[in-house]
Amino acid sequence: MAKKYSITNHIRKLRFFANEMTQQQLAEKAGVSRQTIIAIEAERYSPSLELAFRIADVFGVAIGEVFACDVKDEVRNGKKAK
Amino acid sequence: MSYQEKRTVVGIISGVILMVVYVFNAMGRVQAGLLGLHDLKPWATLMLTFIGIGIAAAIVIQILFHILFAISIAVSEKIRDESCDDKEIEREIEAQIVEDEMDKLIEMKSSYIGLAIISFGFIAALVSLVLDYPAAVMLNILFGVLFLGSLFESFAQLYFYRRGIHHG
Repeated sequence: MAKKYSITNHIRKLRFFANEMTQQQLAEKAGVSRQTIIAIEAERYSPSLELAFRIADVFGVAIGEVFACDVKDEVRNGKKAK
Repeated sequence: MSYQEKRTVVGIISGVILMVVYVFNAMGRVQAGLLGLHDLKPWATLMLTFIGIGIAAAIVIQILFHILFAISIAVSEKIRDESCDDKEIEREIEAQIVEDEMDKLIEMKSSYIGLAIISFGFIAALVSLVLDYPAAVMLNILFGVLFLGSLFESFAQLYFYRRGIHHG
């Protein structure tokens, strides 16, 4: 059975609890552009494992607290795979 | 719009302008009888000239764009906070132009699209020879697909920046 894995994240929530850290501040600390942080937060880009660890390190939490994996059955030809 | 997106748009505009100038230049020369359909040397000379102009223009335009971009950031930072110093402005410019893993992934995936178009163009150029079209047509197809490949690569970059990109 084919499954689709999509990466979700809690970066917005973690930024809020880190004294409303801005996307720019997070970008600088993680060594990427603000554009990339925006894309990750909006789940338009899944970061590499290294960057995921760097982001988790910025917040001082485990990677599993920042990123999660949403697993769904892949939909093909309008029908859900069984 | 990010620095990378703006830079891509500038690249598209300058590329299109250069191609339009080439087309009008070549058409004018064909009508004046300076370029024949079977003599490839003048065509090759013209194309090499435009490739050289294109490379030089791209470098100059990118440098000018970078300067204007830096000035625009400095102005907007001063408007936002009059007390900000040069170091803060410099830091802001560096933060905006930094190239990271997402930029590299977008560049790589877009280049696949550009290469695919160039490959199809190469086949089309060979087909034109098989169909007994003049050699100048084949040469112009090759030149045209180099431009189209680069153009589609740039559009793909803009698409990925807007819609997102994923590994795999």
